[in-house]
Amino acid sequence: MILDSLKLDGKIALITGAGRGLGRAMAMTFAEAGADIVAASRTQVQLERTAAEVKQTGRKCLIFPADVTNSEQVNAMAAAAVKEFGRIDILVNNAGGGDDSAAKPIEQISDAEWRRGIDTNLSSQFFACRAVLPQMVKQHRGKIINLSSGYGLRGGKHNYMYVCAEGGVIQLTRTLALTYAPHNIQANCIVPGIFPHGGENEQMMKFFKGGKFIPVGRLGEDAELGPLAIFLASDASNHITGEFIAIDGGGLAGGISPTGVVPPSSH
Amino acid sequence: MASSNVLDGFSLEGKCALVIGAERAVGRAAAVALAEAGAKMLLASQEPGTDKTLKEVAKAVQAANGNKTTTRTQNAAIRAELSATADLAFEELGGLHILVNALDVPAFGPAEEADDTSFERIIENNLKTVWMACQEAGRVMLKQGGGSIVNITSVLAERGVPSAALYCAAKAGVLNLTRALALEWARRGIRINALEAGWLDDETSVAANDDEFGKTLVKYLPDNKLIKPEELGGALLYLVSPASSFVTGESIAVDGGLRARV
Repeated sequence: MILDSLKLDGKIALITGAGRGLGRAMAMTFAEAGADIVAASRTQVQLERTAAEVKQTGRKCLIFPADVTNSEQVNAMAAAAVKEFGRIDILVNNAGGGDDSAAKPIEQISDAEWRRGIDTNLSSQFFACRAVLPQMVKQHRGKIINLSSGYGLRGGKHNYMYVCAEGGVIQLTRTLALTYAPHNIQANCIVPGIFPHGGENEQMMKFFKGGKFIPVGRLGEDAELGPLAIFLASDASNHITGEFIAIDGGGLAGGISPTGVVPPSSH
Repeated sequence: MASSNVLDGFSLEGKCALVIGAERAVGRAAAVALAEAGAKMLLASQEPGTDKTLKEVAKAVQAANGNKTTTRTQNAAIRAELSATADLAFEELGGLHILVNALDVPAFGPAEEADDTSFERIIENNLKTVWMACQEAGRVMLKQGGGSIVNITSVLAERGVPSAALYCAAKAGVLNLTRALALEWARRGIRINALEAGWLDDETSVAANDDEFGKTLVKYLPDNKLIKPEELGGALLYLVSPASSFVTGESIAVDGGLRARV
């Protein structure tokens, strides 16, 4: 039955950036779908809250404080997951994010800022993929879900590091997909539109004007991302790999003309 | 989201669906996937004279969920028939929440040998049918207050293939038609997405032949496998169901990684 193919019962999902916001919501969603969770992020206290919430669903949750831009810590994270559960079925590379202060005229960007931007959003995902793949190859089974952004596909004024890193994530995903297809490992990207999650909600709603410029006329809700991640982690997507899927209220389908106005009819 | 469990978003319990092209392998697989997820359905054909096959599909579909499944044999190239089919779906099922266009007539051959009827025929079979079906079901859905449409096209929409200029043009047409309609209806409750099938293993596929093209192609594919029609079911269910409520104008390729390389 097709609905059963979406269940993640007995699977182990490693989720980075799981201490707060979208990552914590992902951990809860994966637990709801039946998976046991390995939650990683920098901050122990936040991870403890994620673990407490996951355990309420009856699933297990191992927490592992790690800075995902540090490859030694990322390798240790993967090793801890294997030690605890004996396998890693799913990797969700969620850690990272935009940093508006990093968008500035190119001559003002220092080498260190460039490297930090690329490390946060691209190297971190590369490290995590590299760390889990030997185990997934051993299992002849694995699902990698990388979070990218619409900026992985479009340019953004002054937004050098973020745009280059997110574009890199899409190319990383394609290359993993092609390389590991014979090992039954699927790698895909989620390209979210604008999701004003966490405590920034009101401020972001204001900044994004409630999503008036988005074709559907609203911003995304965090809970809408969950089903896509579950789909890509499940057997229902076994023949989809190297793909990016935009969840953006129609944003990527357009952009050639401004939202909200229509050319005059010539019928 | 209102649902208590993330998996509830994929359920089609209480949804009314129209599948066009259900007499073919891809349409049949689509119908079975939707039935397993709980949808009530009207199965319509792409071509006339397909009553027997369509009834067989209906039987398989009914076995999957026990819901009454109606059939209507039609010619999808005739607007009046599509219009009547959309109205019938609404009346018989009590609504029209989902349309799946599984319309496809493969057409390969050297460009210099194509005659004057080729353009009209190939574009009509593979693009005009989809356009008219979207319009006719869209009319019903707009009145109803919304719906979800999935157009099944092909990875040929993305790139060229020799001996298939018109077929590739039609498939690309479906993809960009999907994007433009998605924008047009975005604020009127209709989501519309595309599913790009990879090289298929079905009765009309040029990839499934045991000839030089078929053999070379399979070796070229990232996982060395053709896509079976039923393997499209997961992506189809994601796109038609409330699970993809913020997704419109998008396409998902079910191609074993082929699009990642090209």
